[in-house]
Amino acid sequence: MTERSVATVDLADPNLYQRGIPHDVFTELRRRPGLTWNAIAGDPTDGFWAVTRHDDLVTVSRDPDTFSSAVGHIQIYDIDEDALAARASMIDLDPPVHTRLRRLVSSAFTPRHVQGYRDAITERVHARLDALIEAGGGDWVDLVAAPIPIGVICDLMGVPEADHGYMIELSDHLVAGTSSQPLDPEAYGNTTDLRLLPFNSPAAHGINAYAIDLGERRRRTPEDDLITRLVEAEIEGDRLTDAEFANFFRLMIFAGNETTRSSIAHLALHLTHFGAAFGRVREDRAMLDSLVEEVIRYSSPILYFRRTATVDTELAGTPIAAGDKVVMWYASANFDEAQFPDPLTFDPARPTLPPHVAFGGGGAHFCLGASLARLELQILIDAIMTRNITIDVVGDPTFVDSNFVNGIEHLEVRLP
Amino acid sequence: MPSHEIFVLAIDTERCIGGGQCELMEPEMFEVDADTGIATVIGDGKMAQLRAEGLMDRCPGQAIIRVDADDGADD
Repeated sequence: MTERSVATVDLADPNLYQRGIPHDVFTELRRRPGLTWNAIAGDPTDGFWAVTRHDDLVTVSRDPDTFSSAVGHIQIYDIDEDALAARASMIDLDPPVHTRLRRLVSSAFTPRHVQGYRDAITERVHARLDALIEAGGGDWVDLVAAPIPIGVICDLMGVPEADHGYMIELSDHLVAGTSSQPLDPEAYGNTTDLRLLPFNSPAAHGINAYAIDLGERRRRTPEDDLITRLVEAEIEGDRLTDAEFANFFRLMIFAGNETTRSSIAHLALHLTHFGAAFGRVREDRAMLDSLVEEVIRYSSPILYFRRTATVDTELAGTPIAAGDKVVMWYASANFDEAQFPDPLTFDPARPTLPPHVAFGGGGAHFCLGASLARLELQILIDAIMTRNITIDVVGDPTFVDSNFVNGIEHLEVRLP
Repeated sequence: MPSHEIFVLAIDTERCIGGGQCELMEPEMFEVDADTGIATVIGDGKMAQLRAEGLMDRCPGQAIIRVDADDGADD
């Protein structure tokens, strides 16, 4: 056997992402032939194959028979079987089970259907920009990036406006579970063993409890929302169990909130650093769609997802054994110079084919909310341009302490 | 090998994730059913090869399949 290419930097270390995507590290990994083995600190027997090139990532993403989401965990660290089962939502499953669950809600997220949310999103966007202007600047995350996506996904789900803030809080604490900071295990009235909770976070208990209570209310009094759809749904004659329903709800709130919020947070940085590019699009709004794709590529809100090999196989000439962890680094593939010439250049006219992989590399797990995220960004950027708002970032952003999301906690902006 | 064939397309209903890319790219030919969340073909499913291949590649669920391929066109 040939010698493994071994990482010199631990990609699982959250500290690596404290100033954004470590482009130099990923550039070096992409240049190496084959895949690189990343040992996990403190455990010589544990590690993963780092997939850093665009074409390799797409291969993994589109082959769930070989690279499973249901075998092992979709995060780097393994967890016990009972813990996997307790948290399983469609993102942790393979077709065809995944597909049956996904189709319960998929029609609400198609590119055509999301156009129906345009007016409601536009209203939210202008309200947040009004608030930003009234405050004369401030924390872009609190004022703009956080409230827009949570408002939109909560509207779709049927979470009352008064509870939106609580959903942001719970979602934030979920991500904190991927950080190096321990959490109070009894927060949110949690009595469940943390090991059994997503991200090992007591906030997961909070979200699940909230979901079950709201689901109960919708069962009694149905509304035209996704919560009602989920509590009434039947798969081959069976209703979702409380746990299945709560896990579904939690996934939707988390994925609908955290990711678009991250792109919007990064947008403030792009507006500040790449003003000329935005100026071009302001004069020619036909470029708005490709600009939105560039904002999403450049943000890469999710750093990675993991798959687990189900059989002995080979990728990029590297042998992979059944049971090996295979980690798709979107944050690297989106800057693969083989697909995106001058990848660090922010180019609003960059061709949208091949597509970036911020929504995944294709395959059944392709981001459910992709069209919704695009629409939110498109409306927001268009509004900023039309209202001629200049946004200047002051100081450095504070990144979320995580190896999984490329989130920004705080970002101060001023309006000159 | 001919490169400008007419493909006959159908939806693999086991694979379809209801992503709606087909409906976006070819609204005359595909529609996602609001109840089942599955795309359906409107009409005869016929499409020129180049366009069909682009569409099949963009389908996230890899659920757009060619149903006329067993006529010796392969190999």
